[in-house]
Amino acid sequence: MATSKRASVVETAVLAPLDWIDERTGAVRGTKWFLFRNVPRDISWAQTLGSATLTAFIVQAVTGVILAMYYQPSTAIDPNTGKPVAYSSIEFITNDVTLGWLVRGMHRWGASVFVILLFLHMGRVFLFGSYRYPRELTWITGVLLLVTGMLMGFTGYLLPWDQTAYWATVVGINLNGTAPFLGPWLAEFLAGGPEIVSEALPKWYALHMLLIPGALIGLIVVHIYLVTRLGVTSPPWSSEMAGRERAASEPAAARTGLVRKSGGAS
Amino acid sequence: MQNPPGRDRTHVVDTNEGGAIESRAGSDLSDNGHDTTHLPGPSLWPIGFAIGIGCLLLGLVISLLVAAVGAIVAVVFGILWAREVTREVRGEVPEIEPETRSVADEPAAAPAPTAEEKPLPAYTRSKFLEASTIGLGAAIGAVVTVPVLGFAVLPPFTGVEEREVDLGPIENFPVGTYVIASYLSNPSQGEVSRRTAFVRNNGFTESGEPSFTILYSRCVHLGCPVQPNGPIDEQARKELEGGIELRPVLAQSFGCPCHGGLYDAEGNRQAGPPVRSMDRYSFSIKDGRLVLGELYAVGNVSGTGANAVITRYPWSVPGTHVDGPEAWLYPIVPSQVTG
Amino acid sequence: MARDRGELNREGFARYKDDVRKEGKPFFPYGLFHDTVMSLVVVGVIVALAIIWYVDADGTEAGILGPWYAPPAEPGTTEFIPRPDWYFYFLFYLLRIFKWPESVFIATVGIPTICLILLIGLPFYDRRRERHPLRRPVAMTAALLTVVAMGVLTWKGATAREALGSELVLAVPEWAERQGFADNAEAVRGAELFAQSGCMNCHVYLGEGNANLGAPDLSAIGETNDATYFVQYLTNPAAFGNNVMGSYAYLGEENLAALGEFLASSKGPAGD
Repeated sequence: MATSKRASVVETAVLAPLDWIDERTGAVRGTKWFLFRNVPRDISWAQTLGSATLTAFIVQAVTGVILAMYYQPSTAIDPNTGKPVAYSSIEFITNDVTLGWLVRGMHRWGASVFVILLFLHMGRVFLFGSYRYPRELTWITGVLLLVTGMLMGFTGYLLPWDQTAYWATVVGINLNGTAPFLGPWLAEFLAGGPEIVSEALPKWYALHMLLIPGALIGLIVVHIYLVTRLGVTSPPWSSEMAGRERAASEPAAARTGLVRKSGGAS
Repeated sequence: MQNPPGRDRTHVVDTNEGGAIESRAGSDLSDNGHDTTHLPGPSLWPIGFAIGIGCLLLGLVISLLVAAVGAIVAVVFGILWAREVTREVRGEVPEIEPETRSVADEPAAAPAPTAEEKPLPAYTRSKFLEASTIGLGAAIGAVVTVPVLGFAVLPPFTGVEEREVDLGPIENFPVGTYVIASYLSNPSQGEVSRRTAFVRNNGFTESGEPSFTILYSRCVHLGCPVQPNGPIDEQARKELEGGIELRPVLAQSFGCPCHGGLYDAEGNRQAGPPVRSMDRYSFSIKDGRLVLGELYAVGNVSGTGANAVITRYPWSVPGTHVDGPEAWLYPIVPSQVTG
Repeated sequence: MARDRGELNREGFARYKDDVRKEGKPFFPYGLFHDTVMSLVVVGVIVALAIIWYVDADGTEAGILGPWYAPPAEPGTTEFIPRPDWYFYFLFYLLRIFKWPESVFIATVGIPTICLILLIGLPFYDRRRERHPLRRPVAMTAALLTVVAMGVLTWKGATAREALGSELVLAVPEWAERQGFADNAEAVRGAELFAQSGCMNCHVYLGEGNANLGAPDLSAIGETNDATYFVQYLTNPAAFGNNVMGSYAYLGEENLAALGEFLASSKGPAGD
């Protein structure tokens, strides 16, 4: 009896603060709504690509914050190295900071993995026809996420201020410049003048780590809310598909049988 | 296609906290008594106001006179708009406090008072408060947005100064051969402003003027660094003061390393996607030294060297047509590059 | 069956909700377990890529996954060959395909915009209720074509070479090896000139360069004539009835002699 008493004390100690928070915010109920909702019984690995993309994004966010502590967006020449300050700070991160190479490497390759996963996830949704009613807005926010994701890659590419970075950005800016009517204005805004000037680097840094990630996070929140609210679709070839159309003769008992068998389905 | 037993097929309600996905039995949003629309009446003044703001912003780039006109237009139309929006409020209930009026507006909405509890007077619509809340919000938005946008967007388009680059004595440029000249177009910006031009001394024109062909090294397709097709004479390389570097090259064509653009010795397109001929610098000779002036776009060059006839246009971003039917896609050129 | 699509959609979704509630599995842990394993794989792949990249490269020296960094930005360069990150290769190669001045803005802005509109509008023009891939032949064909097109464009973009001196000069030792003129210093110098002087904008040599304006492959041109003939030809192609090719007399006699020697030594790859 003593153990059970202790258990109840522990339980109270844990639950009381949670209850306190939940009473004021509804956070516990919200988490339960997210975690303990039911999903179709036949979903499996194909439906993990979305959360995998989210993981890649979180890796980018975390490593990005650490890189921001060492990176300096300046095109001035560092008197110690004779190279641009931005370039020298990348060299410093890669060569001198403890495990800096790993953080930079994860950020660099995480970007590629993020983009690949975006495309794979989109391919899965297309293959399963999951963009149909009522998930049209989920699809649209997803496409916008793809675009912002590519923009992240594009703006981040300039930051090391090396040859590849500089010239890829020159071409990218001039691509925008060929848009009819307002293109030349957009190009000059991005370059900071008729051609890239020293102000362009901090501007792109701000776009890369403040403006575009802000938009990306907002879109991710909306996207995940919609996925949770509308549910995930079953594979379209599944015989246990949620929402399948049923023959009139199918007895209700057969279906309750399915429920009993559920649990260790996957 | 049959109804499963015990299922209600017409009324779809999500039992989760997220709320109903789809409620077919009418929305309860319309049952709360706020059934009158509260859109302002149609008005043309905002259009004038918008044009004024547009003129103001454009004027900041082009000329202060346009900006002043824009400001006046914006203020006048803004006042007219504000008057129209608030006319109803000002006209009908100028003095009476909203709460008092509200009670009189909707007598049916209040439940019958009982002897025990006397209900507080209910709040109802106040057009004045709605209009002023939205108006104040818009004002805050404008106060924050205009300077931020101006600060972020305008600097690239203003204060682009005329700058001249001295490439040193003209004796460094042998007649008839291209020299790769690398220089700082804006020394205060440092290496980020390093540019390259292909300079060819054409000798003299028929009228005895010195003639130079000075091609800018950026491809007019999308700005990649064009390469001269020929051996560079590294032995004859010269470095002058001010970070200028000169390297003679035996080249009669130029190739772009990105998308297959190819130019001939006059900078005309030979192959690939470039939309015009290579950009050129205007130049002047001061005390026997070659000085680069304004960069300009070239539609086409006929003839060669000192006898070339050049169709000259204001400089524009790479990839934008300066002549031909496509040029109407790019009617305004934002600003000019020099030096 | 006069019911409209909207009604069927709503009924279908009601069935979905009902089925999920009655037959589904809790997201935690049944769904989230798969997600977590997959996330672990993702993080593992990222870390592995970072390690391979770091260990295999050294500074600006590229390893299997590229260098740590390229040399510092040089806005005045005349040697550098720009390339985007791999996931923009498709756009990069698209820009090379549209090689007419009139079509530039179709490739830069037009096609990407159309693709984006088609992508965003997908749920609005593809409104059938059928989800099974095998019963959506049009959609699957379009998807397959898109994947193949993107794959081909990315591959072509990744392997695109330039017919420019700064890139071709690197191939000269290999040419000398295959043609067997590695010991002939004059011919090697001629090969470098050949690579640098824009010859390969029109001529193909040992599989490299662009075939333009009907110019012949020069891999085995040495079989046909001797060095003196080639020098005369280069000095004035028009005298040999060639009005397409321009004169290369501006290179100077010394350089032309080296070029002639190189062409005469190009007798086709040994052993081929």
